[in-house]
Amino acid sequence: MTRKRERLDVIRDILRSIQENRKIKPTRLLYASNLSPQMFKEYVDELLNKKFVKIDIDPKGKKTFSLTTKGYEFLEEYKVIENFIENFGL
Amino acid sequence: MDVYSWIISNKEIVKIFYALIIVIVCTIIVFRTDKLFKLSLHNGIRYFRNAFFFYGIAFIFRYFIGSGFIVDLFYPEYYFAINILFEFFLIMAGFFLLYSLMWRRFENEKGSFSSLFNVKILVFYLMAITLVLFDFFWATSCFMFLSQIILFFGASIMSYINYKKGGSQRKFSKFHFVAMILVLFGWVLNFLAALYFNWNPAVLINVYIFNMIFFLIFLYGVARITRG
Repeated sequence: MTRKRERLDVIRDILRSIQENRKIKPTRLLYASNLSPQMFKEYVDELLNKKFVKIDIDPKGKKTFSLTTKGYEFLEEYKVIENFIENFGL
Repeated sequence: MDVYSWIISNKEIVKIFYALIIVIVCTIIVFRTDKLFKLSLHNGIRYFRNAFFFYGIAFIFRYFIGSGFIVDLFYPEYYFAINILFEFFLIMAGFFLLYSLMWRRFENEKGSFSSLFNVKILVFYLMAITLVLFDFFWATSCFMFLSQIILFFGASIMSYINYKKGGSQRKFSKFHFVAMILVLFGWVLNFLAALYFNWNPAVLINVYIFNMIFFLIFLYGVARITRG
């Protein structure tokens, strides 16, 4: 049995999907995140509020998500955060 | 002159030096964990950071503001207030440390808006104030000691479970368990010193050593994991 994905794991997965694609459309990101549309919206809103991701609009008016510097920083620090939580039993 | 005698005869300076090290350790831990918290918004990290923030404040009150330099010389009549504040912050720090290990049972992952002012933490504030008042009115420190012994007994069990669960993946978790046991011994010894040994300085030196090792182990863990 696999363990339930925790909040930080979900955030990491979303950010990694964006990182791998550099720019990704909302629908593709929804599929990649493996979340319900409602949960997906909550997470994306949180990531936008925390300025981990930004929305780019191309000349045709289509939206794509891309990572901000803070988003890249989070991915780099994710292992440290995970390690910290596990080692200190938090 | 042996080490114990030297420490006892220079106890005021030793105490300041002891507190200075602990305050520096707490400051480093608070800054490092605050950075991790701001990035992750993880509540466990948040409560862990608060614990060391409160430890730092407690030691500043007791050993700097409450030392001979300020209160003893200028306001000796307010020494009781310093003691009350010291106990309050120390008890709250213990609560925060314990809660950082068990917050998942009481909160969802999004947590509360504030980690200092929410209903769960309010319960801790009320308990801390009650314990401090009991100690004040009975002119003792035994309520604080007993609360911390119970608290760190629970924290030691949780730390042991985390260590057993993690295996070799969580290399620091065994040191975490050792730190919890040490501080538990420290509180038991402190309690015994107050109750049976009439605050014997030699016993108290061992308490200070246990406490110091506890803080240094945590500093080691934080520095190692955050690559400092």
